[in-house]
Amino acid sequence: MFLEKIFSHGKKERYVIEDIRRHIELLCKACDAFTVALEKQNRDLIWEVVELEREADSVRRQVISHIYEGAFLPYLRPDLCKFVEIVDEVFDVLKEAAFYCVENKIPEPLRDESIRVALLNFRMCDMLMSSFEAMLEGQDLREKTLAVRIFEKKIDDIKHDLSKEAEGVRIDNFWAGKALSDFIANLTMISDIIEDASDHLQIINVSTR
Amino acid sequence: MACNHANKPGGGGVMKIHEFMTRKIEFIDANKSVYDAVEQMVDRRIRSVVVRFSGKDPDYGVLTSRDIVFRVLAKGIDPKKIKVSEVASKPIACIDKDTDFADAAAIMEKSNIARLFICDKGSVIGLISLLDVMAAELVMRARGNHVS
Repeated sequence: MFLEKIFSHGKKERYVIEDIRRHIELLCKACDAFTVALEKQNRDLIWEVVELEREADSVRRQVISHIYEGAFLPYLRPDLCKFVEIVDEVFDVLKEAAFYCVENKIPEPLRDESIRVALLNFRMCDMLMSSFEAMLEGQDLREKTLAVRIFEKKIDDIKHDLSKEAEGVRIDNFWAGKALSDFIANLTMISDIIEDASDHLQIINVSTR
Repeated sequence: MACNHANKPGGGGVMKIHEFMTRKIEFIDANKSVYDAVEQMVDRRIRSVVVRFSGKDPDYGVLTSRDIVFRVLAKGIDPKKIKVSEVASKPIACIDKDTDFADAAAIMEKSNIARLFICDKGSVIGLISLLDVMAAELVMRARGNHVS
């Protein structure tokens, strides 16, 4: 493993790498569960997303504490912490989007495109996982970063369609409209944050060369 | 844990055409003038419109910017005096939403066309262009399972 080879074979480093991997895995699972929940309109799976977010929160704390206990060279620590924080931000936004689905049904005209965005979000997480593994192997991340950007661009296009379609949805009151608007914003913001995480991974990769 | 789209994270799962297709499709009636189509395409910044022919069952054709420029404007024909139905190509090339990218690329190459329509139960639900196939190639290359 690239990072381990360069910096240390210590236990702390191994724990950090394992925990970061676990953190991204949980994100993939959460995005997948969310997509399936939307497809099948299954509320239990929505709660699973919330559970996964809680689990991820504790993994994040472990990563940060191991890093502050002295894992990795000091110059690399802030970047690793920042990466974990960005991934955690994705969980927060995903959880907010999931909460909307607990109490509301996605309006029919927005349903298909919402599912598509959720699936593309999952694809991006998958690519992030793949990027992380590639970084550990010391590979170039250029192709993977580009793939993440392509997904993000696609979601950006759908975002405009969703917003336009939402204008035609009948809304009962201000709060229902706000909740729907927030849902669309959160659902489409996930890709922006994953893109940030991917870019940060690239920065870490370059800084370790 | 219900993971439908991949067996394990980082493992992928096969990407299908419907994930990359564009749903933003503009329709125009076959009886409208080519001028109307030009207006619609320039206004929406799109390169083609799906032409709807009247009849019992849904019947579609396609009018592209290439058709308009080559078959109408370059020949000095007034676009207001020619109907969409006279210029549009018919039938449209349709594929299933679960088609994979390699097959889509092969159909495009064989038929020498730049866009394929994704159809479901006789209705056009999306469109995939050459650029979408290229983007998919980049993504699949990054995933380690590319088209070519």
